[in-house]
Amino acid sequence: MAENIQEVTRPRLEAENLTKRYEDGVLALDHINFAVQPGEIFVMLGGNGAGKTTTINLFLNFVEPSEGEARIDGIASHKDPLAAKDKVAFVSENVMLYGNFSAIQNLDYFSKLGGRRDYTRDDYRDVLLRVGLAEEAHNKKLRGYSKGMRQKCGIAIAILKGAPAILLDEPTSGLDPKAGHDFIELVKSLKEEKKSILMSTHDIFRAREIADTIAIMNQGQIIMQKRASELAESNLEELYMKYMAGHNGQKIAV
Amino acid sequence: MLTAIIEKEIREILGSAKFGITFGACIVLILLSFYVGAMNYKSSVEQYNAAKAQNLRQMEGLTSWLSLEQHRIFMPPQPLAALVTGSSNDVGRTIGVHRRSSIAAEDSKFSEDPIYAVFRFLDLTFIFQIVLSLFAILLGYDAVCGEKERGTLRLSFANAVPRATYILGKLIGSFVTLVTALILAILLGCLLLPLLGVSLTGDEWVRLAIIIGTGLLYFAVFLSISVFVSTITHRSSSAFLTLLVIWVISVLIVPRASVLLAGRAVDVPAVDNIAAQKATFSKQLWQDHQKAMGAFKPPENHDPTMMMDLFNAYMDSLSQIRESKMNEFSDRLNEDRHNRQKVQQQVAFNLARISPTASLTLAATRLAGTSIDIKDRFYESGIDYKETFADFMKEKTGMNITGGMFIVQSDGEEQEPIDPKEMPEYVYQPEPLRASLAGSVVDIGILALFNLVFFIGAFVSFTRYDVR
Repeated sequence: MAENIQEVTRPRLEAENLTKRYEDGVLALDHINFAVQPGEIFVMLGGNGAGKTTTINLFLNFVEPSEGEARIDGIASHKDPLAAKDKVAFVSENVMLYGNFSAIQNLDYFSKLGGRRDYTRDDYRDVLLRVGLAEEAHNKKLRGYSKGMRQKCGIAIAILKGAPAILLDEPTSGLDPKAGHDFIELVKSLKEEKKSILMSTHDIFRAREIADTIAIMNQGQIIMQKRASELAESNLEELYMKYMAGHNGQKIAV
Repeated sequence: MLTAIIEKEIREILGSAKFGITFGACIVLILLSFYVGAMNYKSSVEQYNAAKAQNLRQMEGLTSWLSLEQHRIFMPPQPLAALVTGSSNDVGRTIGVHRRSSIAAEDSKFSEDPIYAVFRFLDLTFIFQIVLSLFAILLGYDAVCGEKERGTLRLSFANAVPRATYILGKLIGSFVTLVTALILAILLGCLLLPLLGVSLTGDEWVRLAIIIGTGLLYFAVFLSISVFVSTITHRSSSAFLTLLVIWVISVLIVPRASVLLAGRAVDVPAVDNIAAQKATFSKQLWQDHQKAMGAFKPPENHDPTMMMDLFNAYMDSLSQIRESKMNEFSDRLNEDRHNRQKVQQQVAFNLARISPTASLTLAATRLAGTSIDIKDRFYESGIDYKETFADFMKEKTGMNITGGMFIVQSDGEEQEPIDPKEMPEYVYQPEPLRASLAGSVVDIGILALFNLVFFIGAFVSFTRYDVR
């Protein structure tokens, strides 16, 4: 019975003592630990160089960990990267797709890379409409798209992959308030579908709006990690500034 | 997944402005090279026919074969030489077969029209060597690093894509698209040949097909090098610069430098030096000859006809001895020079083969029959013809044409003019296809090896590539 419970609640995304020291000696990530359950949005909040993107890169095996593991659905990314990446979708800060292709063509290509060859044009149209991309734009070449439109294509690609976990690397950065809001609404809808979402951002407002768990990162460490419910009455901005000011390389709270 | 990557690559290349512009330029240049080649060939055929007719006209009115000072033979124009000019314009196209002991090819295209030597011809090998290699670099330099710069590589590898599959897909996609496009352009060019009145034999079509195949292999080498370089650099500008340096070294420097190095490594005596040695020896022989002439003793009965016959026979034997000694001496010098030249050529070619451009040139010219051997081939066929010509003249005149002096008697009766059609016909035999293939297989193999090495290089390098 205990085993069954553990199986059901096994985190989809896990960082265990995850550490990354680059060849030049820079410690980008220092023994971080967290877990993201199905239907949970875990937000990494922090400034530039805090280690948010390195964490995502480790999950995607773009870099290998110096210590510890990044696991997707129980699979260590650096041990079996193909199996791990099969279970995760990714949306970057600046979704870059093929400018000479239309949205449909880009979706078709990336879906096939994601192992899905069963989609039809109608499927692509439906998902593009779902992410809020007007139909007249579907067959236009992406070189004329705004950043907001490209981000919508990026999330459409992530949806089409059908992976249980999604990594979002500062996805709302540079978007106008309306586009940012629409994007967050989409992410919320994915949470409803029991996706496990790991999102990095330095936007406190968005973090508070969407997160189930917030981790404040600085200098490669998680210096504070709390459930959103624990922060309900707090001023997150003040808290963030307080933690950042008080942090001198030691973990304050985990 | 491999199919998806190949499809994407094809679609991306075909949709790019870069491809449109470079491919458009390539079509124009390829068609132009075929057009210029066909026009040059037709003009060469006209010149060849006119020269042959003029040669025969010179015999008109002659009443004795002994009056024929020399007969000229001409290298017939080859249709493939118009497309792959090689050395064909540098070597003489005509040989005067006459009473002197030595023969030499004269009147090369470049000696007649030096302007062509300045800028050379826009032929198919030029298109392959220069234009298509640049075309390959332009379309391949950012194959991987460009995707990284644009950010698409990161998104692609967020999926479960094996790196081997990805790089294989890119190489296959690029190669299939570009080669198909080039084949179409070249086929159009091939269609131009019969339309412009140039007909190729079956053997020549096979040779042309192999030349084109070799050219495409060469194109693939530069494409593989480009993809390889794009997997060891992270910025497309660095990749482009690196490839330009490789291109300059490979296409322009290595072939020329190898000739210079071979010239230093193997000493070949100058033609002037050999001519001076021959002249000294000939002078010495002539002095001996003159002394021997004085030793002739006429018969005692002083019968003029008998005396003339004996004198002619004596002179003939003297000339033959002199000729034989001179030929032996010349042959020794020529053979020594020829052997050294061959060693020098071999050293130069082997060094030059570091560059794929050299391999392409050597294979294509060998297949087109315009390699450096064309000079020897024409010369040797001239020597053979000279023997045929000598036999013919001996049959007609009863004398050895290589003799130094003739005393022609006339009995005062009007003689019939000679019939020029009786002259033995000169036939130039190009190298058989099988021999050309055997001679070019090493260079074709080297090009295939280059492809394999750079393909593996790209493959290995990409497995370690930082896709972020």
